[in-house]
Amino acid sequence: MELKSSIQASTYIIQAQEEEIKRISNELHEGISQHLYSVNTGLEFLHSALENPDLKSYVKELAAQLNRTIQEVRLLSVELYPSSLSTLGLVAAMKSYLKQFTSTFGVIIHIDTIGHEQFLSESNQLAVFRACQEALINIAKYADTSEASLRFIWKDNILKIEIEDDGKGFHLKEILGNTRCKGIAAMKQRMAMAGGDCQISSEEGKGTKVSLSLPFQR
Amino acid sequence: MAYNKEMADVENLDTLFLAECKNLHKRISCDFIGVALQKFHHPDVNWPYVCGNTNEKYKHVTVRYGKGIAGKVIATGSDMLISHFPENILGKSTDYPIMLAERLVSAYAVPIRVNGVPKGSLLIGYRKEHPIDGDQFYKVKEAVENMEEFLPSYFKN
Ligand SMILES: Nc1ncnc2c1ncn2[C@@H]1O[C@H](COP(=O)(O)OP(=O)(O)O)[C@@H](O)[C@H]1O
Ligand SMILES: [Mg+2]
Repeated sequence: MELKSSIQASTYIIQAQEEEIKRISNELHEGISQHLYSVNTGLEFLHSALENPDLKSYVKELAAQLNRTIQEVRLLSVELYPSSLSTLGLVAAMKSYLKQFTSTFGVIIHIDTIGHEQFLSESNQLAVFRACQEALINIAKYADTSEASLRFIWKDNILKIEIEDDGKGFHLKEILGNTRCKGIAAMKQRMAMAGGDCQISSEEGKGTKVSLSLPFQR
Repeated sequence: MAYNKEMADVENLDTLFLAECKNLHKRISCDFIGVALQKFHHPDVNWPYVCGNTNEKYKHVTVRYGKGIAGKVIATGSDMLISHFPENILGKSTDYPIMLAERLVSAYAVPIRVNGVPKGSLLIGYRKEHPIDGDQFYKVKEAVENMEEFLPSYFKN
């Protein structure tokens, strides 16, 4: 009884957190980005109106800096919440995240899809997306390898995902007994909340495999 | 012909930068040296020149403005020292991709400027905790001064 209510409480916390993250991401994208764009337009105008070459090049430098900031705000917004999930779907959102992932960490992820993508609710898509993100970031942080693979397998009533690296690996029992494994714990919990499952296998020196599964109704 | 001259300049620049990195590498015997630089006529910053790398990840990395050690150095124009990554860092360890990619523990980075504006960063790193002191600071600054001398030709337009 107590266990059940504590799971409900953390489910609620995760949901509330996701809503807040989505709100901030939106604010960055719709609010702050738009304001920065108008400042940028103003700078362009100033640049063309100015005659003093020193001022001109100063304004040009400011505009360059502003552009980098706009770019950074955009990346931060997508990093917080992948709005392409609802517009383009899980696989496309994942592919776009992978581009970003490789240009951040230099780790190449080979993605491959078997079967046809099926409809998932936004909250289930997000659960899977976040679990993949956690697994991939763990690879960048700990696996010490330059490549890994991500496979989507769409079956009739179930989606299976395998994220595999041939990096350092780790001692599962030792690490999972540790209460600091928040990432893996959250990954398991999110998948459980969505009605799915998350299994991890790893061996020191041999690499790590994260297997997600999510049943769905057609 | 103007195009060819430009290409020749860029090639020449590669040689100069790499020679400067190797020279510094010898002088301070660190594990890794990297030059992050704004791309030619482009706002993106990447790692065109490295020395002592253990993998090729750096080739795919784009430095984010204001993030990580090079991104922060370029955005603020000031030096940055990390003594025991990932302890006591600002933000998350994932904000420091080059430290993760090359498994660096101690690192020091300084801005490389063109006309006073930071356009890149020179970074030295160690894979075990290593004190970074006045002698290294001095040698790194010296290398940066040399780089700043040949860099303007790359950005002139
Ligand atoms: N792909 C991987 N390769 C090697 N070690 C891993 C991998 N994924 C996870 N680990 C190990 O499992 C531990 C727990 O991971 P996690 O729960 O995500 O926590 P965190 O990422 O915050 O350290 C990590 O500290 C690391 O030692
Ligand atoms: Mg983690």
